[in-house]
Amino acid sequence: MSALEYRDVRFGYPDGPDALTGVTLDVPAGDVVLVVGDSGSGKSTLLRAANGLVPHSSGGRFAGTVVTFGRDTRTHTPRELADVVGFVAQDPEAQFVVDRVEHDVAFALENLGLPELVMRRRVEEALDAMGIAHLRDRSPSSLSGGERQRAAIAGALAAAPQALVLDEPTSQLDPQGADDVLAALGRLNADLGTTVLIAEHRLERAAPLAHHVVVLEAGAVHAVGLPGPVLADFPGAPSVTALGRLLGWDPPPLTVRDARARALSGGREALHGAVAPASGSSPATVTDLPAPGPALVSARGLGVDLGGRSVLHDVSFDVHAGDVVALLGRNGAGKTTLLRALGELLRPTRGRVDATVAVGCVPQNPSSVLFAPTVRAELRETIRLLGRDDDAAIDHWLDALGLTHHAARHPRSLSGGERQRVAIAAVAVGGAPVLLLDEPTRGMDAASRRALHDAVVQHARGGGAVVLATHDVELAAECATTAVVLGDGDVVAAGDARDVLAGSLFAPQVLRVLPPFLTVAEVATALAREDRP
Amino acid sequence: MTRAQNSAERPWHACTWLVWAIAATASLQIAPSPLYVALVIAIATLVVSVYGLDSPYARAYPLLVGLAMVFAALRVALTALTTHGGPHVLFTLPSLTLPNWLGGFTVGSSIEGPIIAQAAYEGFVIVGVVAVFAAFNAVVSHYELVQSLPRAFHELGLVVAVGVAFVPTTITAIHDVREADRARTGGRVVRRGRLVRQIVPVLETGLERAITLAESMDSRGFARGGSTPRESGAAWCGAAGLLGLAGAFVALVAGESTVALVLVCTGFAAVVLAMVVASTGSTRVRYRPRRLTRADVALMAAVCAAPIALTVLSIAGDASLVWVASPLRWPALHVLPVIALGALVAPLVRRPVLARTVGTVTSTSARQQEVAA
Repeated sequence: MSALEYRDVRFGYPDGPDALTGVTLDVPAGDVVLVVGDSGSGKSTLLRAANGLVPHSSGGRFAGTVVTFGRDTRTHTPRELADVVGFVAQDPEAQFVVDRVEHDVAFALENLGLPELVMRRRVEEALDAMGIAHLRDRSPSSLSGGERQRAAIAGALAAAPQALVLDEPTSQLDPQGADDVLAALGRLNADLGTTVLIAEHRLERAAPLAHHVVVLEAGAVHAVGLPGPVLADFPGAPSVTALGRLLGWDPPPLTVRDARARALSGGREALHGAVAPASGSSPATVTDLPAPGPALVSARGLGVDLGGRSVLHDVSFDVHAGDVVALLGRNGAGKTTLLRALGELLRPTRGRVDATVAVGCVPQNPSSVLFAPTVRAELRETIRLLGRDDDAAIDHWLDALGLTHHAARHPRSLSGGERQRVAIAAVAVGGAPVLLLDEPTRGMDAASRRALHDAVVQHARGGGAVVLATHDVELAAECATTAVVLGDGDVVAAGDARDVLAGSLFAPQVLRVLPPFLTVAEVATALAREDRP
Repeated sequence: MTRAQNSAERPWHACTWLVWAIAATASLQIAPSPLYVALVIAIATLVVSVYGLDSPYARAYPLLVGLAMVFAALRVALTALTTHGGPHVLFTLPSLTLPNWLGGFTVGSSIEGPIIAQAAYEGFVIVGVVAVFAAFNAVVSHYELVQSLPRAFHELGLVVAVGVAFVPTTITAIHDVREADRARTGGRVVRRGRLVRQIVPVLETGLERAITLAESMDSRGFARGGSTPRESGAAWCGAAGLLGLAGAFVALVAGESTVALVLVCTGFAAVVLAMVVASTGSTRVRYRPRRLTRADVALMAAVCAAPIALTVLSIAGDASLVWVASPLRWPALHVLPVIALGALVAPLVRRPVLARTVGTVTSTSARQQEVAA
């Protein structure tokens, strides 16, 4: 039986292009279905159509039918579907109605008008299912990202819906928080048989959970099927899947465990020749590390107190020309505070920051930067503020971040990943040699990440430096020269990116399967060398 | 354990805080002398620092008080410029008399000391009222307050509470946007066009959040099924009652005391009827509403002692309660009114226990349990 039936659904937002161009899809009851696709491919629209937010809340042109557990969304509003579909939006922070977790979870139950005893039981069950019973009395704003997202899911779950629809539930979370959320979803599906429809960009954790994967492209279903075969050809596939594809493993693995099993049972042979010559020397020979240039920014004994709490203590490090520094660490470890101190947006309580060149800082939330009517105007504004006129720089950064074809669009009409790139371009165009990027890959699709990666590497090669505060270990492995791990305001590890990443829990997937390689690109290079004796 | 923790973090019921705020405001009206107002502001600040925890509303407190001071200062300036006639002329400005259709008063001219003092004195009372209001918002759980409303007003109250919640998030957004603006130019501050650069992102972010919240509420069945005829009847009855009371006030001003009396009686009866109908007729249940404890009732009585005692002192003829600007002299401070105002500190007998550190510890232990499982 199908939980959700989409029949030739077409939809366009008011004054916008078509977001869905004829989607026909069945979501089987009791399955986890993962929706993937580039930014702007219609993932959010598809999800929002499941409980009638599209078209009831969005307006716009809607055609076709969506039947949710036997109810047609054209005749049923979201509130009438609240007992069968739970919906969790991308930004967990904005969807809390009540300032106490327990009461927010009960919100849907009060609206459904259930008797008190039923409410009590349902709330307890929802809190337990998400593992947040100990947080019941907290205010959502005081929770960590992962806890907050789980609380939001509990709020959707309390009404005991037969299906849960989640729009990128882990995009704002650190790896730990993402694990918690996805593990909770997996448990929910296994124990209660709840149908889960989930959209994601970062597939390392979500792909192993899925029973089916739907690939959307330009508002239409491009492929549907089992995760392994479908993701094999998808550009945003997890690193292990890409590795499997490179080495011709069939079916391509989805998890580190699968890939490792494959590598042990002969998959490694293909690489033996390639690894052997490099094994004596430092693995750094795989990529060519440029010699560090002069120090552009140096922090000495940096300490910051915020709200009477010491957030950073005694941090010292240098950013050299040509460096790409990856700043790692869990949420609340002090990454953002360190970036703000380096960018001189925050006066350090102790120690000092010396910058010999201009430093540009891109905040975590791109929305706080964007205000101009077009992408190009957004970039021009920075130049204008600096009292210059430099169209070449605008074109350079539009091109470097793959935004040229969006130049005339309104920044707020773009997807999350695209907005993030516009914000980066708007700061970088000012010409600061040192760029500080706070969580730049949040909500980014594969193409956006690729563009960001190239722009970062190019900027560093050109004599600049980039500091990335990120949870994205794969990005760090692909472009960082130096890595710094923060833990509770201290530097707990610092040094060559390869050494730091190899020796930590932050190890990228490929390293865990085929050490000492960090990325698929390195394996490919090694294979190419082997082919060319 | 939960109940204990709950009351540990917020020791007093929202209604208790409401009574506290009303008592404090009434005290300000009965004893508007600057020294007593300063005392009430100090008490409000103390209450925020103890009970505000880390809430965004508590962070908004200094901002709101500052804003009130700006308005008070503006009021002083306008009054000094437009009100004339009196002794102690400080200095004389060039004057301009407005045409009759604009009110016909004189702007500028002589600036008198007592008029400035009187305006400042009145402005300071307003600062006091705002401080009490801001403190109330900082310490109260708005949702608890909504839950205490009769069922028929629940949806309306919730919408208001959600609206109020946008004030602190907007303040946070303003902070983020200002910082982003500086970050964009590498720490350089460019003043030209800054307002547009900063207001547009704040408004757009706020709008996006509002839409997300509305969709979240819609997806969770908010206002599903509408209200029963009984509930809407109660709501209308209540509205009519309030209208009647407002009409009574107008009648009182116009000197129609009989009409006023009739309106007061019917209005009051209608409000009571609405309350009774709304609370008995509802089949829908609220989830774990917090009930008033004996301690809450005792505290309400204690804080009410402040305005009552001040009223008694006022009737007994305590001259220090009200200050007169002319002749200009230092306001007096008497012991009894200070003791009376001291009743407003009564909430401090129970202090909140900060749950911050507790939270992180339990979350790690929960993780360990999950891993073990």
